Amino acid sequence: MPLKCGLCDKQAILKRPKTGDALCKECFFLAFEEEVHQTITDANLFIKGETVAIGASGGKDSTVLAYVMKALNERYAYNLNLVLLSVDEGITGYRDDSLESVKRNEIQYCLPLKIVSYELYGWTMDAIVKQIGLKNNCTFCGVFRRQALDRGALMLKVDKIVTGHNADDIAETVIMNVLRGDIGRLRRCTAITTGTDGALPRCKPFKYTYEKEIVMYAYFKKLDYFSTECIYSPNAYRGFARAYIKDLEKIRPSAIIDIIHSGESLSVKKEVKMPVQGVCVRCGYISSNTVCKACVLLEGLNKGRPRLGIGKTHKERLKMAEDLNEKGDSSINSQNFFENGQLDSFSEQSSQSGLSCCRSTTAGCSCQTSEICNDTAGIHSSVDQQKINSLAIDF
Amino acid sequence: MCSVQEDDNDVPFSKVRPNESIGRTCMKCQEKAVLITRVNDAFCRSCFMVYITHKFRATIGKTKLVRDGEMVLIALSGGPSSSALLHLIQEGLSERTHKKLRFRPGLIFIDEGAAVNLPSSERLNNCEKMLDTMRSTGFPCCIKALEQGFDIDNIPELTSPSGTCCPGSQVEKDLGTIDHDTESISSDISTATSSVTLNMSECSISSSMEEPCSNSREAIAVSSLSRVESSFQKYEEAEEKLRCLLKSLNSVSAQEDLIRSIRHKILSEVATTCGYSKVMLGSCGTRLAVTLLTDMAIGRGGQAAVDTVFADKRYKNLMFLRPLREFSSKEIGMYNALNDVESFFIPTLTTKGSDGASIEHLTEAFVTGLQRDYPSTVSNIMRTGEKLSTGAEEESKEYCAMCQSSLDTNVVASSALNAVQFSQRISNRAADSDSIIDKSNKTGECCGEGDGGCNTTRTRVTKQQVLASLCYGCRLAIRKIDDVEKLPLYVLKDVFWRVRREKMKSEIEEFLLDTS
Repeated sequence: MPLKCGLCDKQAILKRPKTGDALCKECFFLAFEEEVHQTITDANLFIKGETVAIGASGGKDSTVLAYVMKALNERYAYNLNLVLLSVDEGITGYRDDSLESVKRNEIQYCLPLKIVSYELYGWTMDAIVKQIGLKNNCTFCGVFRRQALDRGALMLKVDKIVTGHNADDIAETVIMNVLRGDIGRLRRCTAITTGTDGALPRCKPFKYTYEKEIVMYAYFKKLDYFSTECIYSPNAYRGFARAYIKDLEKIRPSAIIDIIHSGESLSVKKEVKMPVQGVCVRCGYISSNTVCKACVLLEGLNKGRPRLGIGKTHKERLKMAEDLNEKGDSSINSQNFFENGQLDSFSEQSSQSGLSCCRSTTAGCSCQTSEICNDTAGIHSSVDQQKINSLAIDF
Repeated sequence: MCSVQEDDNDVPFSKVRPNESIGRTCMKCQEKAVLITRVNDAFCRSCFMVYITHKFRATIGKTKLVRDGEMVLIALSGGPSSSALLHLIQEGLSERTHKKLRFRPGLIFIDEGAAVNLPSSERLNNCEKMLDTMRSTGFPCCIKALEQGFDIDNIPELTSPSGTCCPGSQVEKDLGTIDHDTESISSDISTATSSVTLNMSECSISSSMEEPCSNSREAIAVSSLSRVESSFQKYEEAEEKLRCLLKSLNSVSAQEDLIRSIRHKILSEVATTCGYSKVMLGSCGTRLAVTLLTDMAIGRGGQAAVDTVFADKRYKNLMFLRPLREFSSKEIGMYNALNDVESFFIPTLTTKGSDGASIEHLTEAFVTGLQRDYPSTVSNIMRTGEKLSTGAEEESKEYCAMCQSSLDTNVVASSALNAVQFSQRISNRAADSDSIIDKSNKTGECCGEGDGGCNTTRTRVTKQQVLASLCYGCRLAIRKIDDVEKLPLYVLKDVFWRVRREKMKSEIEEFLLDTS
């Protein structure tokens, strides 16, 4: 006997992964959208008239997010000015394809699109992987993407960024942080809005939305998205947490939300010292260290020591100090660095990054472009200086 | 799509392949090593014993919580950890020890055979073995059955901070109940073989505990048939109740959760009635890491710290201590092997089950699997737990009627709890009737079941009322229950008491001044 929809007596075509209720297509769409709306209003995510950038990767989460945000913006008159914002990591055969899908979304949803490229750092992921290999490349990608998204948002002068992180992602992060003993992030990771102090606020309207339901929604709405795994191997450790969450979901579907509840109801001992959020002395970006991770990673790359920001930093710095001592005077040393042709590649890349910024589709970014290029140039000159007394930097 | 986030970089280091373990010398004394504890630390036998004993005593000593001559109840399960705990305590109390432990232990074993449908002969066998072990120590000891939790019917003192509702007479009555229970199990066992007895040994123990002991001996001696039969029936009834409740939960994870809660209730009940102020649990670090992660997964994040900390102070006049929390299961195993400590295998709900048999079972497989490749896993998880607040410092007013931890259901609008409730409401018309939230707060005048029992003096409470008195995790556990009357009496009574208080409060509400 066909199951009836629990809401309207039509024939049900799916069982909600989140609650187990049988629903028809229309009622599922409604329930899905209403839940996101409820999340948005409960947390007061937006203020009327704000410009909001939707972090769009071309994947299912961000495609559905863009679609739902646009629908809700019209239905409930949020009066938001929505734009799509994408980051081009420069991964041939992966990101270029997914960006095509974002570009189609731009047309389908009539939302303006802006693409920022990693070339704003003077690098592409392809080039980084050539340097670091397949083992730790995700570290670079994750750190750079976050900053790139913020920089893009600054160029677009938006008030907020929304990302497609779903309930599964958040539950996974909670478990990851428990496994790593990272109390600072454990406390932060369940917040629906982050970066309220100074930096651009980022919110997650899908915080309570199951990944499976997002796929269902995209499937029944026949939304156009890109679903291929990154060609560079993903972080294995996160994979364990992910598998654990999926297994839990099989045993008890509510486990994902239950973990988020657990994360929300944690309280940290008063005497535990929490990392203080400051700003990076080099790029002014928020950071809990004097120099932010992106700057450390970038410096490592530019110095031909890509492992500088990975794992135990002090080890790599010691090695670098030894090398410097061996080679004697530090000024000669800085010459050495330039001799291997890196300087040329810098200037080449920064001119490219200028180009890529101009190429971006949104008008009004060109004024920001020069700033970003100067910024990268600024980093280069400071890199130059650092080379002279690299040991004096306190990471 | 790529799910890597910017903070993914610092992950634990994976295992460095251990060097050859043969022909190693002890890292302390250069004697021939017999084992490797963690990563690459080789020990000889005597250095290992010193290391374990020191760690055990330091864990107890550094908190200065256990005072000289204090009565401490040791909870034994028969498993390796609690057997090691017992052995460590015996060693620590023996004359030849340099610095003797100075507390007075009593032992308890809770037979949970009813929960896993063990045949009574096997349960009896387990009880006998445990009793032999416990008796051989010379410490006072007792055996309880899990189903006896159903007959505990007092309102725990801590849920009524005012203390006015627990007059002395009630406490006395409770003592009576416990006595009766101890008697009933002993007589039940005696029906089968007449060999097992509940032994409160000669060591001095509070007067309240001596009585049942003499009673039960008498029961064995006289073996009055009618009396034994009536006790047996009562005991069977409770067993049936337990089975019925567990069955109605419809999920092994929920069953495990409930068993844990009833077990704690029995321990605290025995401890308080017999004058113990501390209960020691044998959970080792590996076990606690699993508990912490399981807690996260079953919505008990707020209690994860309390469940894994050394001193669990959630009960008012009683403390649960976990002196083995610094040990890994491997260290326990090696200690037991080197000292010929015997442990028993007693099946649980998930014995022989697949990894997916329950959330706890899955978590155990997950943690131990990770630990194999990343040896810092357990200590990382424990380190997380140590930084979490146990909530002991803040005076929370409300407690869960089932697990006694502070209620975590008073949340802001934007929260997982509200999101779940909204989802249930929006995708199911009928959900309103049994949804978790209940703002209408019916006051127990009608149970809505039309059996006429509503206005009698019997304590009938609705599912909504029960759920409102429970924490998120306990709500999850009994979500599928068809009739809340199946819950243990102590839970129902507590809920009923709350409902009554709430009603009283609403009657006088207009005269109450806002003190905040």
